[in-house]
Amino acid sequence: MSLFIKHYRPGSIFKKQILWRLNSSVAENHESEEEFRVLDILKKRDKQQKRVARRIDVPADRAEKMSTDQNWGNVWPGPRSFHPSTVPLPIRQGFVPKGQVPPGKKANAELMKIPNFLHLTPPVIKTQCEAIKKFCTEWPKLLNSEEAIEKHYPVEVITSDYCHASPTIRNPLARVVTLRVKLSTLNLDKHAKDKLLRLVGDHYDEKTDLITLTADRCPMRRQNLDYVNYLLTACYHEAWTVEDWEKEKMEADMEYYDWNNNQSKKNLVNWYHKCINKDIALSEDEYKSFDTSVIDHGEEYKLAVSSLFNDGEREETINNYDTAVRKLLGLPERKPIE
Amino acid sequence: MYSTIPIQRQWARLAHVCRALSSLEGHKLPVGRKSIDGISPPLRISRSPTDILQALAATVGVDPTAPHYKYHDDPFLIPQSNYRKRAYALSAEAGRKAATWIRDEQAHLFTTREWDPPMKMKTPYFNADPHIDAFTPRPIYNDESKVTEEDLLYTINNALLDDAIKVYQLLAASEGVNDELKLSLLQLLCFYNEKEPIGAEWLEERWFAAATRERQAATWKLGGLADKIFASMDPKTPEAYCTLIQGMAKYYQAERAHAFAQEAIEKGVPLSTGVYNSLLSCVGFLKEGTALRIEALKGLLTEMSDQGISPNADTLTACLRSISAWGGGQILQTIALQIMAEFKELKIQPSLSAYYYMLCLFCKERGQRIDILTSILTDLENRECLEASDAMDTHFFITAIGVCSDHLQDINLAERVHALLMKDDNYKLVGDAYKESIYYRHLVTVTCRHAPFEKTAQLLDMLIPNIYVPEPSVMEEIIKTLEVAGAGDRLAEVWSQLVVFGLAKRIKIVEQLLNALCQCYTYQDDEIKEKIRNAAADMLKFGQLIEEQNENRRTPTQQLSATALANIIDLCADVNDKADPSWEVVGEALGRLRSEQAVGVPDKPEILASVAKKAANIGKPGIAATALTYLAECGFEEATKACVETLGVMLNRPTDEVQTLLQEPKSALVASLHPSALVIAEAFHLAKTGAPMDSSSSDSDSDSSDSD
Repeated sequence: MSLFIKHYRPGSIFKKQILWRLNSSVAENHESEEEFRVLDILKKRDKQQKRVARRIDVPADRAEKMSTDQNWGNVWPGPRSFHPSTVPLPIRQGFVPKGQVPPGKKANAELMKIPNFLHLTPPVIKTQCEAIKKFCTEWPKLLNSEEAIEKHYPVEVITSDYCHASPTIRNPLARVVTLRVKLSTLNLDKHAKDKLLRLVGDHYDEKTDLITLTADRCPMRRQNLDYVNYLLTACYHEAWTVEDWEKEKMEADMEYYDWNNNQSKKNLVNWYHKCINKDIALSEDEYKSFDTSVIDHGEEYKLAVSSLFNDGEREETINNYDTAVRKLLGLPERKPIE
Repeated sequence: MYSTIPIQRQWARLAHVCRALSSLEGHKLPVGRKSIDGISPPLRISRSPTDILQALAATVGVDPTAPHYKYHDDPFLIPQSNYRKRAYALSAEAGRKAATWIRDEQAHLFTTREWDPPMKMKTPYFNADPHIDAFTPRPIYNDESKVTEEDLLYTINNALLDDAIKVYQLLAASEGVNDELKLSLLQLLCFYNEKEPIGAEWLEERWFAAATRERQAATWKLGGLADKIFASMDPKTPEAYCTLIQGMAKYYQAERAHAFAQEAIEKGVPLSTGVYNSLLSCVGFLKEGTALRIEALKGLLTEMSDQGISPNADTLTACLRSISAWGGGQILQTIALQIMAEFKELKIQPSLSAYYYMLCLFCKERGQRIDILTSILTDLENRECLEASDAMDTHFFITAIGVCSDHLQDINLAERVHALLMKDDNYKLVGDAYKESIYYRHLVTVTCRHAPFEKTAQLLDMLIPNIYVPEPSVMEEIIKTLEVAGAGDRLAEVWSQLVVFGLAKRIKIVEQLLNALCQCYTYQDDEIKEKIRNAAADMLKFGQLIEEQNENRRTPTQQLSATALANIIDLCADVNDKADPSWEVVGEALGRLRSEQAVGVPDKPEILASVAKKAANIGKPGIAATALTYLAECGFEEATKACVETLGVMLNRPTDEVQTLLQEPKSALVASLHPSALVIAEAFHLAKTGAPMDSSSSDSDSDSSDSD
């Protein structure tokens, strides 16, 4: 080709044509220039001209041959994308401008895109259930309500199975195991309960009373299941053990405000004794075990102070405290501010 | 433990554990379906990993409209003929083979394994993705490869015969092979006779492999590797003897096998039942003549009992195999019955192949009719399941149905055989594609001949075309049945079936179909009549198309006979509307008749005469003229009368007047008559005198006058 370009002179149409011919195996205007005919070895031209009309024997859709009383489960036994020649239903699908008819089932990509459930018709589900019934055992009779189940099977294990089409059938999320158990179903005393709650921390939900343990650190579900079981067992037994250092628990370490142990009670008792003109010196333990119900409105005051500390400062608790104190001291009730 | 579960439940748990332990020890307690205390779950019903899948699969029945699941379920891709079925399935498998070949050739490209679950590859030993041996490339062995005994073991276990031989040669040259491996290799070589088998994964190839009957000739490789290995073994173990003798007997090297057996007995080497079975199956090669052979057979059996070897089901099969190979006759049949009785005493159930040999022996084509099939079927129907134990087991069903069809001609027995084949998963015993089609050939033939029509129709609808595509001979049988039953509707459909089955080029069937259509045309409904006309027209069109396609080929195309064309004309001319396209078909067919593109002359020329009259009546004079000219040219007697009558219809005159008119000279007629009428007049003269009318006549423009 470079040869021709080198010798190319403007205006020489003749050479231009040769150049073009050499590049193409098909000569188009060879009627005009007989002497430059190109040898058409592959006979492309002749082949193209002779086009045999071939008879295509495509059988009719098999949907047309189906009898009306056939068993559809035999025709469509498993999940499969839609095929118009197999489904004997006049389905239409597709978005069209208003007033037009949606396209029919043939050559309709919309119908193939969406997953169908033609393999899960109610009669098929019924027969399949019948078929696998022989592998099922009877449901235990006494487990007839949610409460019964909760009572007898307090531990709940939650896992997820994933089903998808991809080169691997495994999903990493399937390994995650969650274990839930109600705190109230565990056999705990006051100390153990307190210790367990401290051990599980924010895995405990006060509203639902559930301890939730989740494990995803191991690669297999079985390992994670073993791990959550281990966690629950370990926490439970740890909660029951009492270590030496636990005796060193101070008032400041208390997880809640115990009115009996606090200065507020002492103040109330002292004040009460002053009111009834008694001058008795009480020991620590006597203060703690003093029965406040002898004091008028004493119990009320106790609850108000406890809730103020335990539930936090809120308008409601402060108002409660206010009324309790007024009642205790015999002050008039608070007048609403106008 | 740590929860407040009632003590009762704890007991249930304990019981559960105890039961699990006791079943571990092997004592299986009855599985309770009920919970003991109403709270703990009952024991699980034991099941295998695939039991649920199998239970679900059992709910799916047969869909006669669907193709086999190996084909795509799409009208363009469903194979409709035997040729296409074969081609499509084998093409798919060829693709798989090509992929395997590339995998083996470029093994280094296929070493990666999916890391599963997808995570960082920190733990090299943990990968949940299972390692599947079938997906990994096969090792390639050549002269340079360094092999160990493990390679030999691998090739033997995977039945890679050629590779095993290569590895053995390499090993033997370098370090030698131990006796255990030598024995395994010897077993492999003897089983396959040193021929690489078709791999188990090529299902289609095995299914469609040409089922040529095994040659009953000594194919054992004398002095081959097996013999050499046996010679090199020292000491020669009983297993080695057994293997070699069985291999020789399997490949019909009978004399050497027996010689070796004698040698082994003399040396005091114990032989197995299998060895005697194989010796029994080739005992006939040693002797000539029935009496001597029977003697040898009995001799071997007594030798067996002398050695204290008990026979099994294969022994029975081997005996019957030998006997059935020696021909027929009363003596052999009696011997076979005696042996059967003897084994019945021993409580040995005959296998399917034993029954196959019995059928071969008793139900000869040109023999007496002996019904042993009934008792065989009764026995087989009472068995719980039929297991394949011998390669010849797959011959039983085709032979049984063949006996029903040819020998006994009994539709009830055929139905029983078919029901047995369809029971459970007995269909696996049908063998391969070749045997399956023979089976259905016999079944359809016997049903067509002897069953009531409704049953036949039901069977045909069920089988054709997805399970079975009829061969030409069966198609003829079907057409005959449909003709007798007068099912015009189905007959019209048969034509389209012929086209898709690739049988439409077989002129004999097409002609038979046309005959059948003509026979039952008159008493059909109008709708079906139209269908039949369309089918007939299509036959003509199809013939032309084939001719056009075959123009360049050397092989001549078969053409429809004149009788068939006349039949087409007869069918298509049954319309009273002048504008009906059927008339074009009639014209075309007549054109072919006249231009002598058909074989022979019509059987019934009166058809053409009546068509000519009808054409003239409704205003198609051109067709009438062509038909009559053809009749006259062929020299049929009907021509003169038909000419006169047709002219009478055309010119609307009584016969006498037409007769006188025809006496006039041609020049006068030219002036007075319509061109088509003129042609008929010429035909009249031709038929009467055997020579054309005096002046030059033209027949080419007869068609052009159709329009008026």
